[in-house]
Amino acid sequence: MANKKQDYEGDKALAEVLFDSIGDGAITTDEFGKITRINPTAQSILGYSEDEALGQWFPKLCTAYDDSGGAIPLIDRPVTRAFVTGNIISEKIHYKTKAGNLIPVSMTISPIMVDDQPVGCIEIFRDISREYEIDKMKSDFISLASHQLRTPLSAIKTYSHMLSDGFMGQLNPRQNKSLKTIIAATNRMNETISTLLNITRIESGSVVVAKKPIAINQVIEEVIADHQLTVTDKNLSIKFSPVKDNIKIISDSVVLKEIIGNLVSNAIKYTPNGGQISVKLSTKDKTLIVAVSDTGLGIPESYKDNVFTKFFRGENVIRQETSGTGLGLYLVKGLVNELGGDVWFESTEGKGSTFYLSLPLLPQAIRTNKSVN
Amino acid sequence: MANILIVEDDKDLNAAYKVILESEKHKVKTAFNGQEALAILKKYTPDLILLDLLMPIMGGIELLEQYDLKDHPKVKVLIFTNMENSPEVTKAYNLGATRCIIKSWTAPQNLSKVVNDTLKAKNSQLKLAS
Repeated sequence: MANKKQDYEGDKALAEVLFDSIGDGAITTDEFGKITRINPTAQSILGYSEDEALGQWFPKLCTAYDDSGGAIPLIDRPVTRAFVTGNIISEKIHYKTKAGNLIPVSMTISPIMVDDQPVGCIEIFRDISREYEIDKMKSDFISLASHQLRTPLSAIKTYSHMLSDGFMGQLNPRQNKSLKTIIAATNRMNETISTLLNITRIESGSVVVAKKPIAINQVIEEVIADHQLTVTDKNLSIKFSPVKDNIKIISDSVVLKEIIGNLVSNAIKYTPNGGQISVKLSTKDKTLIVAVSDTGLGIPESYKDNVFTKFFRGENVIRQETSGTGLGLYLVKGLVNELGGDVWFESTEGKGSTFYLSLPLLPQAIRTNKSVN
Repeated sequence: MANILIVEDDKDLNAAYKVILESEKHKVKTAFNGQEALAILKKYTPDLILLDLLMPIMGGIELLEQYDLKDHPKVKVLIFTNMENSPEVTKAYNLGATRCIIKSWTAPQNLSKVVNDTLKAKNSQLKLAS
């Protein structure tokens, strides 16, 4: 008996030492959410001593905030959800310290279950202020680089087109041909910059989606107009089938143009001269479907699983068309996810491909997305 | 034909947009920063402001903060920027901007089209898909 008691005391002491030695913040609560233990790292991050924290109601002592600084309602707090669902929850949130500062933390909270009943929870959290700072610097750099790289391109593009459109007088055929080369190279440069910047944004989680009502037919018309020169050069035909009633959807027109622009650009790039491209809009079950079809090279069966993978380019494509980064469809997939949609394709090698994009039509779908953020 | 105020700090682009829009018979005034634009807007109400966001002295967001579009419901604002997906674009929308276009993507013929479409949409009711 004495040995068992000694063992128990020994185990308890060991558990306490282990708990206090955790390099991240650690807090345990009872079934009512009252703090039963707080380790030194948690005390240091939050600024509360053990005496100040023990027995306090965790959500009250440690108020939580989202990325925009808004207080997270009690019902949405990870601690509440962990208790209610019995699930382990990992998130990035902000805690207010005793000094009143908001600090970003990466936390995981697990319910402590005894006989399938939650008797408390344990939360491990880490101060990620430094990561946040780096993310912000990265995001600021992307914005600056985006602007600085594009500013000269804007002037090149505008003036090249003005020359081409006869604003400065008529050009002879040789001059026109040279100008087309400049315009095509400018477009490629633009696409590359956009792709790289957007991929950086997706991977750093800093894509900003500004959703508002947009006329989808108009977006497609603009995308097609942007590619008209290449379409004409390759003697392709491009057919647009708009959706009825000039439907407006709630989405981000710039992100949408990037997505559809990539699909149209791929269709043009991988369709031999004289081929056909079509962009068809339709609605189905509260969803808008955009279908971009071509009579191009198609995707071999063996590559189909890799199409949306970063840097992937099919051998059949590399043989025919050397330019390309293999990032376009990876980007499309990432951006479509940001808009709450889906993308997929059907393709037959040697006959062509159809890429489908589905987007939610109902504003409710967007509200759901927002609440997740 | 519409009255358009171009607010763009890049002199070459400002001049180019003016030529393009005037070729479409629009009446165009130009400013090179938000402060100049505000001075013009004190005695002139355009149908559309073609607005860059990042400018010296006063940027596009600050201009929209001072020139409250709620007081000028007929004025459309077309943001012309190279900072897509940025918080600034979201702010501009929140302040009442109608559309946002990426400068370096936009060919002159598209500029005219976007301007004309934005002007046409002026009094239309937004129709949401259902």
